Amino acid sequence: METNTKPYVAHRPPPRFVWKEKYTGYLMLIPAVAIIMLFTLYPLLDGLKMAFTNRNLLLPSYEYVGLSNFAELPSDEVFRLSLSHSIILTVTVVVLQFILGLILAWAMQQKLPGMGLFKSIIMASWVIPVAATVYMFRFMAQPDVGLVNIILRLLGLKHLARYWFGDPTAALPCIILLHLWRNVPFYGVAFLAAMQAIPRSYYEAAEIDGAGGWSKFRHITLPGIRNMIIVMVTIHVLWTFNNFDFIYLSTGGGPVNRTDVLPVYVYRLSWESYRLGYAASVGTVMVIILLIYFIIYLRIHERSGAAR
Amino acid sequence: MTTKSVRIRTAILAYLVVVISLIFFTLPMLWIFYTSFRTQASIFTGAVISPLKEYTLENFATILLVTDFPTYFRNSLVIATTVTLLSLFCSIIAAYGLSRFDIRGKNTLIVGIFATQMFPQVLLIIPMFLVLFSLGLIDKIIGVVLGQMILVLPFQVWMLKGYFDNLPPEIDEAARMDGCSIPRRLISVILPVAMPGIMVAAFFSFVVSWGDYLIASIICQTQRTATITLVAQRLGASLLVRWGQVAAACVLTIVPTIILFSFVQDRLVEGMTAGALGAE
Repeated sequence: METNTKPYVAHRPPPRFVWKEKYTGYLMLIPAVAIIMLFTLYPLLDGLKMAFTNRNLLLPSYEYVGLSNFAELPSDEVFRLSLSHSIILTVTVVVLQFILGLILAWAMQQKLPGMGLFKSIIMASWVIPVAATVYMFRFMAQPDVGLVNIILRLLGLKHLARYWFGDPTAALPCIILLHLWRNVPFYGVAFLAAMQAIPRSYYEAAEIDGAGGWSKFRHITLPGIRNMIIVMVTIHVLWTFNNFDFIYLSTGGGPVNRTDVLPVYVYRLSWESYRLGYAASVGTVMVIILLIYFIIYLRIHERSGAAR
Repeated sequence: MTTKSVRIRTAILAYLVVVISLIFFTLPMLWIFYTSFRTQASIFTGAVISPLKEYTLENFATILLVTDFPTYFRNSLVIATTVTLLSLFCSIIAAYGLSRFDIRGKNTLIVGIFATQMFPQVLLIIPMFLVLFSLGLIDKIIGVVLGQMILVLPFQVWMLKGYFDNLPPEIDEAARMDGCSIPRRLISVILPVAMPGIMVAAFFSFVVSWGDYLIASIICQTQRTATITLVAQRLGASLLVRWGQVAAACVLTIVPTIILFSFVQDRLVEGMTAGALGAE
């Protein structure tokens, strides 16, 4: 064992803490890496390959059809709608979550009676199953027995009462609301944790210089929670763009494709139309969009890292 | 004087945010909880408050005794527990290896593991279904467990690695000097200290598995394996008019996650973002 240890450790600055038990580290990775390879990496490569076939779950054989799945995409009305809805939904949801999360964190940062209790219950919406969340909201949106419409009728706005998830203009905003309901508290609590790690002395120094509330927020708080913002926004862009169950369970993409997004379209193509090859080509477009996002993100990350 | 009036204004604004948030984030849950105790007739009056005699436990009785809900519930419990134990085993040793051992290309590997989270699951499940099909694992509990592992494992490894990085290396170094083997070091030295982080990791995988709809919906073909998130669909559209029963099923689905949440609430965000802050 010891004979094999020489070259690469020597000319490399030693990491913080290293043992000589050379192969143990690799052994420990095997179970996790094996599962990730078999159920993520292999499916990913296979899925990308499948995008070039006409594979159908109901047909025993399939063949490679080159780019013809992709050639079909531009003329596919549902694909075009899903693509634009996916992008609109992701951008709107993440921007609103970020702003509302900051406001929530600001409020929770104030040392006021009852704030501890508030902080401890506010994240409950994040832990309950999405399916339960969707049915809760579908019930509240019911035309006759839903709480939203009951309240509207009490306010004398009877003409506004409707099944909100079935309304062509209201359906997408309702989906946005579901996303906000689930994730804004998570943003708030995460931003709060990062804010509390900023040393008090920074604020005191700024106060001596006569900085106002906004200026302190702009020049101390925001830079101080920068890393947390990057992590939260990155996670939620991926999460929102790839999210499937909110829309599938609430509107199924309707009414008349008004809420169709790419993940829901891929799911319907593969498990309702059984067109695995075509579904994989739509999935491949999703991968390409995510890669573009990832490259832009890395560029911004590098540039701001270099500027500091 | 002015600082005092600023303080009061701040407090009023903060409480305003708190009150609006409380209404928005808890009302849907309270409302479904309330509905689960109402009779069908009382729900359909469209009134918010009904006479006392219209409150009932009948919805829960029907869901638990007449429908197949208990089967779904038990399946979910078995699956989520297995996912939690299996993913903890894999992620703890992998995170410990990544945190404490010299591994060539470590950073690439960590980024690679995290990047797997980025790919659309709706695309991954197509080949995954075919893999599980050829292994004969469709409609098997273990098939669902393996499928759900990919939802939790990458994030869990990343999160626990960050957590282990923050533990002082002296503690396991001391154990090594005493001649402890690696498993002994991990089990009797690291695990007790890392328990808060591991609890959060366990909570995370249980909740993700419990709430998963996507993977369950394609792998669970029959009632033998169907999980709790499939209840509403599989119990038939007729249920959707009986809102009292839907509400009772919702409450029974939510309650386990809320109970577990109450154990980790304070540490949840700290644990989940350890990877983010530890990676710097």
